[in-house]
Amino acid sequence: MVINLVKELSILDEQQITEGLRTENIEVDLLISAIKSKLGYDLSGYARASIKRRFQQLVIDENVKYIADLIPKLLHSRQCQSNFINRLTINVSELFRHPISFLTLRETVLPYLASFPRRDIWIAGCATGEEAYSMAILLEEVGLLNNTQIHATDINTDVLKQAQTGILTKGLNKEDAARYQASGGISSLSHYFSTAYNKQKLSQHLLDHISFSHHNVLQDNVFCSAQLVMCRNVMIYFDVNTQNSALKLFHNSLVQNGYLVIGEKESLLNSPLNSILKTIDEPAKIYQRKSLNNV
Amino acid sequence: MSDFRVFIGGSAGSISPISAILSSLPADFNLIITVVIHSSADSKTSMTETLANNCILTVIEISDKEKPLPNTVYVAPSGYHLYAENNKLFSLSVDQKVHFSRPAIDVTFTSAAEIFGKHCIAILFSGANEDGSEGLLNVKLHGGLTIVQSPESSQVSIMPQSAIDNGAATKVLSPEEITDLLLKYNYGD
Repeated sequence: MVINLVKELSILDEQQITEGLRTENIEVDLLISAIKSKLGYDLSGYARASIKRRFQQLVIDENVKYIADLIPKLLHSRQCQSNFINRLTINVSELFRHPISFLTLRETVLPYLASFPRRDIWIAGCATGEEAYSMAILLEEVGLLNNTQIHATDINTDVLKQAQTGILTKGLNKEDAARYQASGGISSLSHYFSTAYNKQKLSQHLLDHISFSHHNVLQDNVFCSAQLVMCRNVMIYFDVNTQNSALKLFHNSLVQNGYLVIGEKESLLNSPLNSILKTIDEPAKIYQRKSLNNV
Repeated sequence: MSDFRVFIGGSAGSISPISAILSSLPADFNLIITVVIHSSADSKTSMTETLANNCILTVIEISDKEKPLPNTVYVAPSGYHLYAENNKLFSLSVDQKVHFSRPAIDVTFTSAAEIFGKHCIAILFSGANEDGSEGLLNVKLHGGLTIVQSPESSQVSIMPQSAIDNGAATKVLSPEEITDLLLKYNYGD
């Protein structure tokens, strides 16, 4: 953006650059405010640098000049409104992402959860479903799928529709198989999918244990009472305060001795919950609620 | 002088000169260094381990919202874009790849340029694509110091050459000269 500005002016003037950056930051604030007023989604707690980059991507996609030009589009174009939030969310996922975490779930966490008569598992930020599918496969292999309900939620309605179908957005590949094996998989990954028209679909009896719902971890309440909450690579898009609100929500949704799983590069170090949750396995990013009191 | 922040980017052929520079920095080198290297899927050992070898400074792979400390080298994790979120924190994302890369050097350099302005020192090393040159230009435009490894000292010169052609380089230096310059900034002379 700055480069475009400079090429237009054809003067490399430092003051203009600083002013351009200041103006762009004002535009980011105005757009966030417009999104909140128009659509009811509050993005003010999102990490600044990456949300700005996504706004800049929308500027390119919408073929406009400035971030502020997105405001009239948002306000007046029904088509733009309908998918605006969906286009701002990141939906990168894969089967058995961060295998060491799934392996630890298999070996350490699930044997304990087996003692509950029934289990609720909340996957917050399920994107296109891979995380929920992986969880269903894991539960099937340890014999806990019956009497377990997986609640998969996301803010993005488009990906939820996709996830609900059980159809993989990308075909199974050898990296998926390798992560499945590294997660302690005891069968063959393809065993859980049927193939038709070059697409792979999760077996219906696994899919039947997953419900997909719209939920916004920043503005909605606890989704369900759960023995296990998994939320990976969602909180990286939030600022520290907002991460802490999300973590509180997850903590409060857990039953006593319930488990929280976060992303490989996420950390509790900036959170008051760091001293409240018990670390089960740091590299696997698995923590346990001990306190009966909500935070 | 310790309010300078050093951002290093590189791709193919960059690990060896970056490693050499890091290993010649002394324990009292207190400028915070951040390294973004395109990861190759075929490398067996982690980038962080490779860079930590022979480096007296602590070398850490970055976690989201990590607070950087002096006398430490921070390495962008494979598969994530790395941003300077503000002057205290890093942040990570899995936004779409830039120049087929995640982490992309452009993403990190651009955010560093906007946050640190004239206190940003950005260095671009050997590599086989054009990532980094736009980010480096942004650093320069925001008043930062931009250094490019000289193409003749680079194993793969596409990346440095592209930055030079883009007008993004303030200085074009060999790895040895880059070490000397970093030491000069660290000791403030």
